[in-house]
Amino acid sequence: MTPYEQGLAALRAAQYPVPVRSRGVIALLEENCTVCMVCARECPDWCIEIDSHKETLPPRTERGRPRVLHVLDRFAIDFALCMWCGICIEACPFDALFWSPELPPATRDPAELVHERAELRAWLATVPAPPALDPAAAPAKEQQDADRRSGPG
Amino acid sequence: MTAATTAYGVVTVDVDRAEWPRAVTQARDEGFAFFDLLTAVDREGDGFDVVLRLWDPRRRTGLVLRTRCPRDDARVPTLLGVFAGAGWHERATAELFGIAFEGHVTTPLLLPASFEGHPLRKEFVLAARVAKRWPGAKEPGESDADLATPSRRRPQPPGVPPGWGERS
Repeated sequence: MTPYEQGLAALRAAQYPVPVRSRGVIALLEENCTVCMVCARECPDWCIEIDSHKETLPPRTERGRPRVLHVLDRFAIDFALCMWCGICIEACPFDALFWSPELPPATRDPAELVHERAELRAWLATVPAPPALDPAAAPAKEQQDADRRSGPG
Repeated sequence: MTAATTAYGVVTVDVDRAEWPRAVTQARDEGFAFFDLLTAVDREGDGFDVVLRLWDPRRRTGLVLRTRCPRDDARVPTLLGVFAGAGWHERATAELFGIAFEGHVTTPLLLPASFEGHPLRKEFVLAARVAKRWPGAKEPGESDADLATPSRRRPQPPGVPPGWGERS
């Protein structure tokens, strides 16, 4: 550990606890991303870069048709440009983006503030659990589907 | 003419431009003695709003005063005689919006001497929007290499006039 990193670690340890729902960095759950480009188009300061390509899946049945799939190649958020508005997270139709309360690490080079998909995925571990549902609320749609599939009958 | 509206808990008083210093003096003498900020809003065809926020330190309440000037006659009387501290804000507003404050010879405050234009006017071309390619121009399933093919009509970035980012 360099003295610089030691200082950073000390600062971090001394930092007062940030509220759980703070806006720190944005985490990416790639499995949910369909490369629809909505976040990149909604971002007011153009800080999300997405590259993808098309792949054709063979038909699943004999008379079926081949399916075209969009495959993510690059997903990067430039935290030097990001202004923490959260519009990308709100706009994502498939819940692929999440706020994490962790702050992007300080760097000496602004280029290092561009977090590529591996880093964005790593932030997922720091995303807090969603707030609990109201006790009287119906279970989430996903839960209902799962219950129906595995339920009795 | 003076009209007061309340929106989002903020009381805003619209003042005729000729009445501007008099109305601000009156508000100050009624207790809104703390000058908070002065800035402007570009209303495009309707001209510019000059917006002033005052604070009453005893009653702990704020007040917004607003006056409007047409685009081709962007002049508003100065508030230097009411709040000396308004000078700094008027300099910034004059520079960023191109609004003249009558009775106040504003000198540049923030921008370099060689700067041309008024960057907070809506028609000002943002250099960053010209220098950088819009990441949303790509369709799903495309990467940067696909952008070279000019075959189809591409989506345009919102809020950017056509032709801005096209470097040919």
